[in-house]
Amino acid sequence: MGDRPDDVAKSDAPRGRARGGIAPTGKGARSFVETGLPVLAIGVVVLLLPLFLPTFVSSLVTKMMIFALFGMSLNLIWGYTGIPSFGHAAFFGLGGYGAGVLVLRVDITNFWLGLLFALLLTAAVAAILGFPAFRVFGVGASDNPIYFLLTTIAFGELLARAAIALRPITGGSTGLAGIPHPDLGFGITVTAGRYYYLVFVIFVVCLFIIYRIVNSHYGYALRGIHDNERRMQALGYNTWLYKYTSWIIAAVFGGVAGVMFAYFGGIMVPNNLSMITSDIAFLVVILGSTTTFFGPIVGSVAFVGVEYLASLYLPERWPLILGSLFVVTIMFIPQGLGVMILKLWRRLLYGAA
Amino acid sequence: MSTAIVIGLNGLSYAFILFLLAAGFSLTFGVMGVINLAHGALFVLGAYVGLEVVARIDNFWVAIAVAALALAVVGFGLYFFFLRHLYNKIPEQAVLTIGIAYMVANVILWIWGPVAQLGHAPGFLTGAFKVGTLSFPIYRLFIIGVGLLILALLWWLQDRTRVGAIIRAGMDNKDMTVSLGINYGLVSTLVFLLGMALAGVAGMLATPILGSYPSMGDNLLLLSLIVVVVGGTGYIQGTMLGALIIGLLDTFGKAYVPEAALFFSYIAFLAVLLIRPSGLIGRKVF
Repeated sequence: MGDRPDDVAKSDAPRGRARGGIAPTGKGARSFVETGLPVLAIGVVVLLLPLFLPTFVSSLVTKMMIFALFGMSLNLIWGYTGIPSFGHAAFFGLGGYGAGVLVLRVDITNFWLGLLFALLLTAAVAAILGFPAFRVFGVGASDNPIYFLLTTIAFGELLARAAIALRPITGGSTGLAGIPHPDLGFGITVTAGRYYYLVFVIFVVCLFIIYRIVNSHYGYALRGIHDNERRMQALGYNTWLYKYTSWIIAAVFGGVAGVMFAYFGGIMVPNNLSMITSDIAFLVVILGSTTTFFGPIVGSVAFVGVEYLASLYLPERWPLILGSLFVVTIMFIPQGLGVMILKLWRRLLYGAA
Repeated sequence: MSTAIVIGLNGLSYAFILFLLAAGFSLTFGVMGVINLAHGALFVLGAYVGLEVVARIDNFWVAIAVAALALAVVGFGLYFFFLRHLYNKIPEQAVLTIGIAYMVANVILWIWGPVAQLGHAPGFLTGAFKVGTLSFPIYRLFIIGVGLLILALLWWLQDRTRVGAIIRAGMDNKDMTVSLGINYGLVSTLVFLLGMALAGVAGMLATPILGSYPSMGDNLLLLSLIVVVVGGTGYIQGTMLGALIIGLLDTFGKAYVPEAALFFSYIAFLAVLLIRPSGLIGRKVF
């Protein structure tokens, strides 16, 4: 590939430019080939998948999309704002429980109302928990986040215990079972096969919104807080408000993932609020990478894929495999699979980097 | 009144179990700044190793020694191969040790099966201690005694020895400590091993009261987090205070208001984190 004139020009370019990828033509064309094409291709493949492949594949892909959204919502605060929350499942579970309780206990079966209720619930709880959380978090990404980690663990466990204690509403420790297929209103009930498309549409919409958020002025301010919060304060930003709002936004998207998960499995259990589920979000993000936008999608695909293979061949050794995924990721691919794929893709496009 | 005394004594012995559970965690977390979320799972591993020894050669003391040794070996591997490379990277340490916790719990399940095991106190420690109409199991008194002994040992190590001074110095400024010619790596490895060995001892001692099952590690981990944070990080006496508060709160709570007791320790945990993140008598570690 090295015989094209652009490649020669590139090898002479200063390192700073080379890292961003040198485009043969203008910016628009480059980002279309580099970003738009793969996004479009993957989108089309995912859209057409259920037509050609057996049901279990589309169910796997549904799960991948749900956990990818869950991971992306955590990445919004962890990767962009630099807040590693350890209790993100609190919002995932809250969303799922919110929608489930509305369907099963209040008898409001409309999917959109359930979604709306779940989102308001997660936003409200996140708004309340945000005050103590950021009191503990303090200022500056250089501060050690250990007490914040512990606080967010406690949030999740507290909610899980509340879910166990409030048996008449939440079903106690056996969980909230029998959540029906979503009813979209106008007499449309989404069956198991079509649920895939519902998740796909919601996933794409959320992805678009998150993309717009992180690439807006607001998103750049979040990255600034990640890099140097004191400097952002000196520049006149109310960094507390930025952190607080990004925490609520992340919680809401976590809640959306939770709602989709509740309808996907038909059941919510207290563990969906506690550390066990938060760990999944953590793994998805760190496996994918905290420094790229699409990282959690890669992480989720890898996680769900490995989980599926393990359930086929070694179901009873799954926690061992899961644990070694954590260890291998941290020790050997700390930058995440997302960065590796990005580098590989750029190398394919532009020749050796 | 007499029931309150018995509940109080139960709470006290529970507090010392919590202290034993959290002491190793506190040592590595509060003193070295390493967050080991696999502590609960490793504690359970210690219990299972000890029970295995008891089943084979039926000697309580040998079982405790083997459990301590086994965990020290595991701890050495954990520190040397993994945690040493993640100095001051808290989220990374947390993710790594969560992974280790999953692996250890599954290995325990693999080797010993899912059935809960109840260790038995050795013959000379069974029976009850009677004062008037009150009776109290001797084994629980034994736990309190061992707890006090370990507290004294760790307190001495922390305040009166060179090792304690080095660890405190390393916590404040690792580079400075190293540049003074002190082998901080060696000392911190040894302290980590001590913390792990303590987890083994505690796991073995606690089985006659708590029982052992492969998945109990998560709950134990949360308990140790709560104890260490409430009492205070950085000092072993803080851990003791936290264990006393949580142990008594939980035992009295379960006796008098069972519905709400589930939340007590978490509320105490959050309250302390909000008001004084370094704990009641701790110093701010980070």
